[in-house]
Amino acid sequence: MTRFVESTITFPYKRSLGPVIGAFMSALTDKRILGIRNGAEVIVPPMEWDPRTGAELAPDFVEVGPAGTVESWTWVPAPSVQHPLDRPFAFAFIRLDGANTPMFHAIDATSPEAMADGMRVAPRWRGVREGRINDIVCFVPGEQSEVEGTDAGAQIEPVVLMEYLASITYVNPVSPTLDRVVDASRERRLLGQQCPVCGRIYAGGRGHCPIDAVVFGIDDDLDLPQTGTITNFAIVTPTQYPGQTETEPFVRAFVLLDGVEVVLGYQPVVELPYTDVRVGQRVAAVWASPAEAVDTGGQMGGTFGQLIGWMPNGEPDIENPDLVNRIF
Amino acid sequence: MSAEPCAVVGVGQTHHKSRRRDVSMGGLVREAVFRALDDAQMTMADIDAVVLGKAPDLFEGVMKPELYLSDALGAVGKPMFRVHTAGSVGGSTGVVAASHVQTRRFRRVLAVAYEKQSEGNAQFALGSGKGASLGAGGSFAPFIRSYIHRSGAPEHIGWMVAVKDRKNALKNPYAHLQIHDISIEKVKASPMLWDPLRYLESCPSSDGACAVVLTDEAGGKEAAAAGRPPAWVLGTASRSEPGAFPGRDPVRPAAVVDCSAHVYAQAGITNPRRQLSMAELYVPFSWHEAIWLEGHGIAELGEGWRMIDNGDTEIGGSFPINCSGGVLSSNPIGASGLLRFAEAALQVRGAAGEHQVENAKVALAMAYGANSQYFSMWVVASSLQPFG
Repeated sequence: MTRFVESTITFPYKRSLGPVIGAFMSALTDKRILGIRNGAEVIVPPMEWDPRTGAELAPDFVEVGPAGTVESWTWVPAPSVQHPLDRPFAFAFIRLDGANTPMFHAIDATSPEAMADGMRVAPRWRGVREGRINDIVCFVPGEQSEVEGTDAGAQIEPVVLMEYLASITYVNPVSPTLDRVVDASRERRLLGQQCPVCGRIYAGGRGHCPIDAVVFGIDDDLDLPQTGTITNFAIVTPTQYPGQTETEPFVRAFVLLDGVEVVLGYQPVVELPYTDVRVGQRVAAVWASPAEAVDTGGQMGGTFGQLIGWMPNGEPDIENPDLVNRIF
Repeated sequence: MSAEPCAVVGVGQTHHKSRRRDVSMGGLVREAVFRALDDAQMTMADIDAVVLGKAPDLFEGVMKPELYLSDALGAVGKPMFRVHTAGSVGGSTGVVAASHVQTRRFRRVLAVAYEKQSEGNAQFALGSGKGASLGAGGSFAPFIRSYIHRSGAPEHIGWMVAVKDRKNALKNPYAHLQIHDISIEKVKASPMLWDPLRYLESCPSSDGACAVVLTDEAGGKEAAAAGRPPAWVLGTASRSEPGAFPGRDPVRPAAVVDCSAHVYAQAGITNPRRQLSMAELYVPFSWHEAIWLEGHGIAELGEGWRMIDNGDTEIGGSFPINCSGGVLSSNPIGASGLLRFAEAALQVRGAAGEHQVENAKVALAMAYGANSQYFSMWVVASSLQPFG
């Protein structure tokens, strides 16, 4: 049965809002909702350009609402963590008084029976407002705006930037070849696959030959040697970013295995300072103890399970001028 | 039926900077688009189809940016295409846009490419959101070590390219890096980031956009008659290869050699060194100028660095490369390839301003991406038959 691996990517993106959405967000902190004039129309939220033609719009802002009329709605019976409210609510198109276009937002209603096209709603403002669309917690039935908690007042500085914490979770299938490589690594075996068409040998659990588009099966497996020679390397000075695990320079080496035409790419080197890594260095595989966690996939250069890297094996360097060209 | 001749009649770009916090993503691309449309003396209404290129969505965290930006690009109700080939994407955007004209599917096509790197983090995105990202420099440093070894080039070649491109950038008001006191000593003294690549031998992270308006033979001739010389697209090509397989040579990828041969054959080029006036090559790290001079057959194998050492690739040299300052001076990743294509067009139109190559007639532009595995190229000329 196919195994699946779940992974989550999260990053705090920084949106620069520009002169129009920036003005809209700044006004929200002051509990005001702005539209922009486009000929005889007022567009809410405001846009920098005519949505039909792309023509630039002058920054002619108009205050609208805060109350408005529901034009259309849908009920959300089971909200997820990403929804604006933690209880059942309605998403609705609300045409704010003075606007010609509806704005999309949430309505805190007790049940779908409490919702109707044409109903009147008003904003429930967040007490502490930062210049984000959720400065309006949601809309509530009626004509009267309200503030949740203590009103901290408007932001003094114009809002130009919005942090957006994006998070996405992937569930990826793992090839059976990779599973065999990981299983073999628990017995300290370095398993590779040989393409039955071109004869090239691949390591790292890749499930196919990219040259011949052949999917590997168990018959293509072979045990690879566990000693080799460093042919080339990259010393990386890490820059800091959310999710970075490194603070000090580190090395990733290319290791040409003995007796076979296989180069393992981007391998960690252990028990040797990164400054001492050199072309021609002889190395041997280093395995984690069986109790340690296994890398289950997704790393650049493949996945090697319990193989944690390579260390000098004490043999003298190999002098071969062509070694440095063996990157793949 | 032969292909419709395709002409570049409009070119626009933003002032590239580390952070364009003053504009939204839509506002950024529109700066380039309106400059290109003004150059072509057109409006959005004149455009029949739009092609958008940018690097992976992870860079800014906007999924399907072609949908997000369609109204900003005036593409409502028009065919809209997204192109995606990693770092080569800007070039591929030009290739796809040209093919729309060449096949007579559309008469006037707008090609747009951008990156707003300040909204995210390139190292994060290139590392697929994991720790210990190698960054582009970490991926390419081993290739460069191999090139230096096999060619026997002295280490100052990389420094020379770093200085040349930054000096060229001083002649390009749109270029991001404007390092007035750039010198070999300054490059040498900059920190080692990915041995043997130093900080000043590496490209910056930029916010920026580029736009190009392409049209058919009638449109090109109309522009020419109105005193606005077009750049004629003599050939376009794209090639790719798997990023890793036993026996792959990333210093001289088969894809770059094949792609060059294809674009030269279309343009009638048999001797690129003699027939091309200049080239805009994708050089995010200094040594890639030497690597691509050889990959494109402009220099003999192992001899690319000698052209740099001789000063041949400077403006005023026998074969100028990256007169705009290149990727080393501005790198809004998704736009960088289209910027190469656009700068080549500016050269043959005689519209490159202070960084103009005298009497430029035929120019090559290329972009590459990912693990040196995706390539896109075009050759543009001041006339449809520059070789008689």
